[in-house]
Amino acid sequence: MNKNISKEYDVIIIGGGATGAGTARDCAMRGLSVLLVERHDFATGATGRNHGLLHSGARYAVTDHESAAECIKENMILRRIANHCVEENDGLFITLPEDDISFQSQFVDACKSAGIGTEILDPDFARRIEPSVNPDLIGAVKVPDGSVDPFRLTMSNALDARIHGAVLLTQHEVTGVVKEQNRVIGVVLFNHERKEKVKYYAKIIVNAGGIWGHHIADLAGVNINMFPAKGSLLIFGHRVNKMVLNRCRKPANADILVPGDTICLIGTTSERIPYDQIDNMFVSRKDVDVLIREGVKLSPALTATRILRAYAGVRPLVAADNDPSGRSISRGIVLLDHQERDGLSGFITITGGKLMTYRLMAEEATDLICKKLSVDKQCETAEKSLPGAEKSEHPLSIATEKVYTGANISQKSAKDRHGTLAKNISNGDDYEDSLVCECEGVSIAEVKYAINELHVNNLIDLRRRTRVGMGTCQGELCACRAAALLCESSEKSGKAKDDLANFLQERWKGMLPITWGEGINEIQFTSWIYEGIYGLKPDNN
Amino acid sequence: MKFDNIIIGGGLSGLTCGIKLAEQGKKCAIVSSGQSAIHFFSGSFDLLGKIDGQDVKNPLEAIKILPDTHPYQRVGIENISRLVVEAPRLLDRAGLNFFGKADENHFVLTPMGIMKPTWLTIDDFTRFEQNDAFPWKKAVILNFSGFLDFHTLFVQDGLKKYNVDTQIKNFAMKEFEAIRRNPSEMRSTNIAKVFDSGDALDEFAQKVNQLSEGFEVVLLPAVFGLFTKNVALNLKAKVNKPVVLLPAIPPSVPGIRSQILLRKRFEELGGTYFLGDIVEQGTFKNNRLVAVQTNNHGDIKLEADQFVLASGSFYSKGIVATREKLYEPILGLDIDGDTDSEKWLDEKFFNDQPYMHYGVKTDSGFHALKNGKPIENLFVAGSVLGGANALKEGSGAGISLLTSLHVAEQILK
Repeated sequence: MNKNISKEYDVIIIGGGATGAGTARDCAMRGLSVLLVERHDFATGATGRNHGLLHSGARYAVTDHESAAECIKENMILRRIANHCVEENDGLFITLPEDDISFQSQFVDACKSAGIGTEILDPDFARRIEPSVNPDLIGAVKVPDGSVDPFRLTMSNALDARIHGAVLLTQHEVTGVVKEQNRVIGVVLFNHERKEKVKYYAKIIVNAGGIWGHHIADLAGVNINMFPAKGSLLIFGHRVNKMVLNRCRKPANADILVPGDTICLIGTTSERIPYDQIDNMFVSRKDVDVLIREGVKLSPALTATRILRAYAGVRPLVAADNDPSGRSISRGIVLLDHQERDGLSGFITITGGKLMTYRLMAEEATDLICKKLSVDKQCETAEKSLPGAEKSEHPLSIATEKVYTGANISQKSAKDRHGTLAKNISNGDDYEDSLVCECEGVSIAEVKYAINELHVNNLIDLRRRTRVGMGTCQGELCACRAAALLCESSEKSGKAKDDLANFLQERWKGMLPITWGEGINEIQFTSWIYEGIYGLKPDNN
Repeated sequence: MKFDNIIIGGGLSGLTCGIKLAEQGKKCAIVSSGQSAIHFFSGSFDLLGKIDGQDVKNPLEAIKILPDTHPYQRVGIENISRLVVEAPRLLDRAGLNFFGKADENHFVLTPMGIMKPTWLTIDDFTRFEQNDAFPWKKAVILNFSGFLDFHTLFVQDGLKKYNVDTQIKNFAMKEFEAIRRNPSEMRSTNIAKVFDSGDALDEFAQKVNQLSEGFEVVLLPAVFGLFTKNVALNLKAKVNKPVVLLPAIPPSVPGIRSQILLRKRFEELGGTYFLGDIVEQGTFKNNRLVAVQTNNHGDIKLEADQFVLASGSFYSKGIVATREKLYEPILGLDIDGDTDSEKWLDEKFFNDQPYMHYGVKTDSGFHALKNGKPIENLFVAGSVLGGANALKEGSGAGISLLTSLHVAEQILK
């Protein structure tokens, strides 16, 4: 995919999350030569492990005016440039009998001053427009929240970076930073696919590694004080709510229920964890208890809704430089110019922030890069649409239409997922139209498109690109079909079997904390098929 | 309504038990909620395939070292030795021809191209004597275009280890044009229906002969004979070289046929099969189960002298797990499983999962326990029994067949 890779670039960006991909896009659009490196796959860190909430900013309005204002601005930009990744669902901030209703007016005022449109609704009316809401509510405020698919958003940024000439390398982990006196001039990478070391050089190296940026900074010999905060979420088996449901009170645990695609999810908890645990994310029973207890308060229907999966992400919180204890933590954007801060030139870090502000973070980072490279070009990422969203005749009503009927389920779903890029997915042929994943309507053609065009190395990557195996059956039957297609394209059958085993283990990790009821029935069935009938083992090859 | 025996569960063990009892003149009813594990039947019944991950050569001998709590030990080695002879005969009388020996496992080829030890294999499939060799050197793997539930590349990869030179060929037939037009219809049962009647099989066999020219053996997905017997055998007769069928992703065509034949046998013997009905509760008196009530029969109670619970494991809803506890949902029987829900699961998917061992608690005579006391006329058989990880051992079908025959013998005593 990346032919004629050069060894020298203007910029190397470390990290394939939303920020890294966004920065790659911005830099490439401003004419810089760009290399993006990612140790696993796009959106595997905090980017892909959150609510997928298109914040209106209302959540922060009372406590953090600046974040709220940033959010609503970026919210409106994303609706324009990434409409195929966004569902304009709107949100409700509800007041329950146990909450203080007087907070509502303070909340509405704060939203107003941040530029967030609000509408106070009569509780009766709120129950009518959102039937899943807790019927005991005593107040409701409508805000322009929405849902955003972080996998699609990140991939669209990466694709656009590629269209503008950037080179993207996934499965490439930074193992060292090449320095010349007080200047960073390159990175040492380990290619996990080929199991080999490679070096690339650039004028500027950007550390966009999220929480892992702490370690990358270490490799460069500078110190950033990061405090990992784990946030756990639960995914439910179907879409209970139409609108995003929030509690109208100061932000707390498990008080947001976000609908997205075919599911909805509740989160998050928040817990400081030691840095050495960031690659070992697990959701505890206690987390699950809190999430269910609080989630049911937003929508009582969750009591009877099957939980598909639990997962956790790590927020990259950065301590102020003068506060090593981490008591004064910023949730805002942190852009560090290590030349000024540490006397180390050629190296910058962009971290903190949120998924919502990834574009702004990328813009700030790219502005700094351009300044350092004396490139005088304006940022255009807020105006130019991402690939898949560029056509104005692609109405949002189609992108968010969730009624799948008839024989063209796969075409509708593909359009939903890839926006106008769905035209690159062939259709009309019976074979290509065959469904690989029935839960999510993924066809052979879409799988092939993802394998050929979207940097897919394995089944787990494919899941992020197409939603294969993300539905109710959690990959029970489709995993094997998809593995076979992957195997066809890579011609490495042995690897595909290992891949299948890894995929099942990865799914299992997410099911472990919530496996009871139908979950345990499904997993027993899956085990019998793959291990019993197929004879699959983790060490087949 | 009064019967001699009522069996709760219409899967492999319920039907085996029902057939055995009906053959001996008992007036039997089976209450079945619907599909069972036979619907994902691989084509073989295992007795004991593995101990500690190692292939078992002689299951009858290996059974002796299983723990005392294992269902086989509870049936007793002597009984097992007798029942392993009886089981294939009972299946044979139902029109299901199985072959294999209890004192020497043979091997079958899985859809991953791996040789797996097993006990009895239905005549659709091929039995192999060795697990380190494949009898042919040049094989063609055939698949229907657009059929995603048979993975030719995995088979090819597996056969590489046996030094087999393989080629994969896909082909289309006009009979499948209609089902292929709908993206979710190209599944094994729909393919099988095409071959169940008419001339499609002849045309197909001709095609197979053409495509397999120059090869010693043909590998195909097992999609033959859904409602009709002998389709697979007819195909083999028409093809001019050996045909090896491999299981496809469930539902399993030979599995559904087996279920139909077993049910037919039971009904022909005078048994009553209540399909789509669910037992909701039981009436107990003096440590006996007097009657059960079902969803479809409302307040008409079903009474019997003896009852058999053969309701299956978790996926058949024979055992239910909530967040806090395990329970037996039909009659509220005692469970043999860990009360601490944190201990049910292992974090590695492929490890020996504790929950797989759980089931209904019984005394040594397979009487169900309720509140610690045996119910004199309620027996438990099949995968609803605890005490073994049938998946890891390769003992699922064996436990179903042998415990249900054993329980039938207790009833007939």
